[in-house]
Amino acid sequence: MSSTSVYPTPINTFKQSKRSVLSVIVDNEPGILARIVGLFSGRGYNIEALNVTVVDVKKNLSRITIETLGEEKVISQIIAQLEKLVPVHSATNLAYLSESYEAEICLVKIEFENEEQDQKILNFADIYRSRTVQKRQNVVVYEISGTSERINKFLDDLDTIGGIKVELVRSGPIGLGI
Amino acid sequence: MTNENEFTGADILLKALKDQEVDTIFGYPGGAVLPIYDAIFGQNFLKHVLVRQEAGAVHAAEGYARSSGKVGVLLVTSGPGVTNVVTGLTDALMDSIPIVCISGQVPSHLIGTDAFQECDTTGITRPCTKHNYLVKDVSKLSETIHEAFKIASSGRPGPVLIDIPKDVQFAKSKYISKKDISFREHRIKAGSKNVDKIFVEELVNHIKKSERPIFYVGGGCLNSGHQASQELIKLVNKTNIPITTTLHGLGCFPGEDKSSLGMLGMHGNYEANLAMNKCDLMINIGARFDDRVTGRLDAFSPDSIKFHIDIDQSSINKNVKVNFHTNTDITLTLKEINSFIESNNINFDDKDYSNWWGQINEWRKKECLHYEQGDEVIKPQHAISRLYELTKQKDTFVTTEVGQHQMWAAQYYKFSKPNRWITSGGLGTMGFGMPAAVGAQMANPDSLVIDIAGEASFLMNIQEIATAVQYKLPIKIFILNNEYMGMVRQWQELLHGSRYSESYVDALPDFKKLAESFNAVGVRAKNISELDDTINEMISIDRPVIADIWVDKKENCFPMIPSGAAHHEMLLSKYDKENPENQEKGKVLV
Repeated sequence: MSSTSVYPTPINTFKQSKRSVLSVIVDNEPGILARIVGLFSGRGYNIEALNVTVVDVKKNLSRITIETLGEEKVISQIIAQLEKLVPVHSATNLAYLSESYEAEICLVKIEFENEEQDQKILNFADIYRSRTVQKRQNVVVYEISGTSERINKFLDDLDTIGGIKVELVRSGPIGLGI
Repeated sequence: MTNENEFTGADILLKALKDQEVDTIFGYPGGAVLPIYDAIFGQNFLKHVLVRQEAGAVHAAEGYARSSGKVGVLLVTSGPGVTNVVTGLTDALMDSIPIVCISGQVPSHLIGTDAFQECDTTGITRPCTKHNYLVKDVSKLSETIHEAFKIASSGRPGPVLIDIPKDVQFAKSKYISKKDISFREHRIKAGSKNVDKIFVEELVNHIKKSERPIFYVGGGCLNSGHQASQELIKLVNKTNIPITTTLHGLGCFPGEDKSSLGMLGMHGNYEANLAMNKCDLMINIGARFDDRVTGRLDAFSPDSIKFHIDIDQSSINKNVKVNFHTNTDITLTLKEINSFIESNNINFDDKDYSNWWGQINEWRKKECLHYEQGDEVIKPQHAISRLYELTKQKDTFVTTEVGQHQMWAAQYYKFSKPNRWITSGGLGTMGFGMPAAVGAQMANPDSLVIDIAGEASFLMNIQEIATAVQYKLPIKIFILNNEYMGMVRQWQELLHGSRYSESYVDALPDFKKLAESFNAVGVRAKNISELDDTINEMISIDRPVIADIWVDKKENCFPMIPSGAAHHEMLLSKYDKENPENQEKGKVLV
């Protein structure tokens, strides 16, 4: 089962991919990220996206969210390998939880040339409920959140407008089970 | 002002080692560990064994750990000191051997400046240790060392490294003793402490139902302790189920017992591999379905229900999908199985598996380990058989190097107790055996320790003969000398049209003179008439001995499952021909 987006996606085109989002709670200590990244590269697993932040200062814990691709057998092996790392408290595949929520944040800078493009951009931004961060004469910066698929869809839609220049940054997905 | 409750980092290390009951350390000094060597100078609880190269220290620590069941400890300096132990750390990780490596590091303020003998030790050793530390604060040193020992020896054991910058070795702090440390459970990874009763009940029910069961036992049984072996023997005797062991499982169950089918896998016994292929119930106890054991996976034991006991969660369903598994310690689980059988008065008298044993005895008639010993040239198999016969009454430990001699040793030397067989299985490290023998002899000073070697492997860590001489360790190096890297030559013969590219070992030393130059003793057997006398002479000398046994240069190690083939496609001798389709596929494998 895949996570529910915190924002609705206009057209549901969720792909039945072998994508998994893993949530890993770790002791925040030197080298922990290298251990995890090394485990993935050393054993030939993919990291599609990665997010690391301290989530509990008192207990010195970080949460690492990893988006990865692989068959179920491979994902189970990744989880087992992650849980063998000494600083790892737990590793969870969000897809295995009965209920989980997922979000990613994306900042998009769009340079456009004319009114028509501006209107189309505005229209998509509205549909996807993206927030305007800054708007100048021919540059606009939006913030859009939701599942990665939702952001992909937004970017695909933007792609249909010819002649604009897009630059973006994405946080990678983060997720939480309930 | 000095506080008498405060100690230098070097002294804290020594206190912690004493607290951990470490009495032997293998090491080699250098600039970044001088404060620790200074502390070693002024004490007498810890025996330091000076090796001749750091690779020797790590393999010696492995040999010490395997033969004693304790944690092996080594001490090396920064830079090249620690990069020299990378192979051994990887070896210990693959074969689940508990060792703690202490390495010196350049002073904290120089880290990252490409200082003399600086390297990114934790970076280099991260993938080849179970865990590693860089201790930047002396106040954290005590708990780090105690945690390192706990991690090395808990759950699935493995190597742990502690990197200590030189300034931390001089800095002062309080010492916290082992009993005052409370470990954080999530970091120890000790496996489940509760026996899975459903697993046990399912297993016993399946044993009762099965027609063709088999025990498949690996090194995990060894690491669970001697009691695991006792419980296993009890269970096998009670159920009359055949048992095969992996390379590392040898000794967990007496090799000469009638229930033992011997080793399985690439060079395992025909009956063991066929029984694995045809069984209807497989009970895996601490083995990891390694590729040397399974052969071609899609043809691996196709009709069996599989049970797997392994403390390492990641070994479950990694290569082979199993039907039932438990992550609880093997001793606890086997105990529970035995007591479940007893308390429920289950007897297996009506289940003697006579058809199954009948089939197995048919396979046994193939005599897969048969060889023809002529009356001149020594067959390597015969050399091992004679070594076994002439040493089996003694308290013997056997280490090996890697290659044909290792497989012959596994096939022809029989072990009746755990921890007597010390070999590099997972990584296959040539040069392992002699330093491992040094470690085993340190742990067992009154026992006979023999390194069964090939001349090529022996040359890889030959410097350690000096260590054996210095510490009066009467290890025996039993070289099956065929002047080839035999296993390489065998694969070239079978898979590469007998093009023996670079596998002939030219310009070999005279091993007898070599031994003498090190103040060890050299003996030699050139033909069959000299073999027994040479072995007896070797055993009788209370000094390090190099025995140079000239064996048949062209002998190959059979039986063999070629890479890419399945268990039932074994080659029994050089006259067996391989399926050419498998041969092409197998070529790309190792």
